[in-house]
Amino acid sequence: MKKISVKEFFQTKKKDFSLSLITRPTTLDKDITSEYLNRPGLAFSGYLERFSYQRIQVLGETEISYLQSLKDEELYNIIKEVFVYDIPCLIITKGLSIPSQMEFLANEMNIAILSSRIPTEKLYQHLRKYLSDYFAPSKTIHGTLVDVYGVGILLTGKSGIGKSECALDLVERGQRLVTDDAVKITVIDEMLMGTSTNDYGHFMEVRGVGLIDAAKMFGIQAVRRNKRMDVQIELMPWKDNMDYERLGLSDNFAEILGVRIPIIYLPVSPGKNVSVIIEVVALNYILKRYGYDAAYEYTQKLQEDLKKKSSMRNSEIEK
Amino acid sequence: MIRKRIMIANKLGMHARPATLVVKAATKYRSEFKILKDDMEINGKSIMGVMTLAAEFGSELELVADGVDEEYLIKEMEELFASKFGEE
Repeated sequence: MKKISVKEFFQTKKKDFSLSLITRPTTLDKDITSEYLNRPGLAFSGYLERFSYQRIQVLGETEISYLQSLKDEELYNIIKEVFVYDIPCLIITKGLSIPSQMEFLANEMNIAILSSRIPTEKLYQHLRKYLSDYFAPSKTIHGTLVDVYGVGILLTGKSGIGKSECALDLVERGQRLVTDDAVKITVIDEMLMGTSTNDYGHFMEVRGVGLIDAAKMFGIQAVRRNKRMDVQIELMPWKDNMDYERLGLSDNFAEILGVRIPIIYLPVSPGKNVSVIIEVVALNYILKRYGYDAAYEYTQKLQEDLKKKSSMRNSEIEK
Repeated sequence: MIRKRIMIANKLGMHARPATLVVKAATKYRSEFKILKDDMEINGKSIMGVMTLAAEFGSELELVADGVDEEYLIKEMEELFASKFGEE
């Protein structure tokens, strides 16, 4: 299972969530294991059944003003009761100040309290987005991701089939490279997002030449950092007996991390311009999204024609 | 070279699905394969070609196969047309 330590979370997101640490730095060594957040209002009022302690606890004005309304002893007891649970950390919103007993107990019981200057609702939203992205299912696959007319095309196929060369050719034609050779795929909102596995830049290996930097070579307009993947194109060596799609009436699908995207098996052979075909795939995908399906239109016309001719033939026979 | 006259026996005629079946069957063979209808002559291994014929129910085609496996190609075509492409 994925996790992030409170320390790492605090250090990387300090700026974004305008966080500061209230408790001692030693309280930061726990792990966040859940992508969800919890408002511990009920827990602090004493109802501790079904307390989602493993989540980050967000305390806003309501919780803090409730705690401040309690008598010292009451406050001490309830905080202690809540802090017995293995809570990763608490985040206080809007830069609110907390009861001194709370800070004391958090230090004692080793629970980090962070303070954010952002209002509760806004923080809640941003934090949820960040956590769900962080905990989203992901995997890395062998392939090349290019943005062709705004359509994310994942090129796959055996080593040496020409994915990188194809990406280069597409970049030359004004399309954009996302990443070559290894694509990190994350599921976000039921969509597959692809990006590079590292942030070194847009390097690629060209057989016989070595490493090149696509962004330096072709300019910043030739690259982008991430892209939703719309279509997978599997490049494969041409085989005479292979059953290639001829009309495009039926779609094949590939499943990646539980998300289905159309897949096209594209035979490549020497002298064949694969880049043009990939651009055609992208444009046809856009047309289909706009409701125009060329294969359907053509076959529809043919069927009408056949019907007409057939009934003409019948009426001739009747005469 | 073998020439063979054959009739379209399925009600819907040579629409997209039967055309695909014809082309897929034909491409398995090495022989040249042409289909003639009226004044048209098309390559039987090309899907657009076969659909261009717009061969309706009851119309007649001439199949022309030329090559080492021409007999097998024609035989498979005869069976395919006789089966009405699995339609009515």
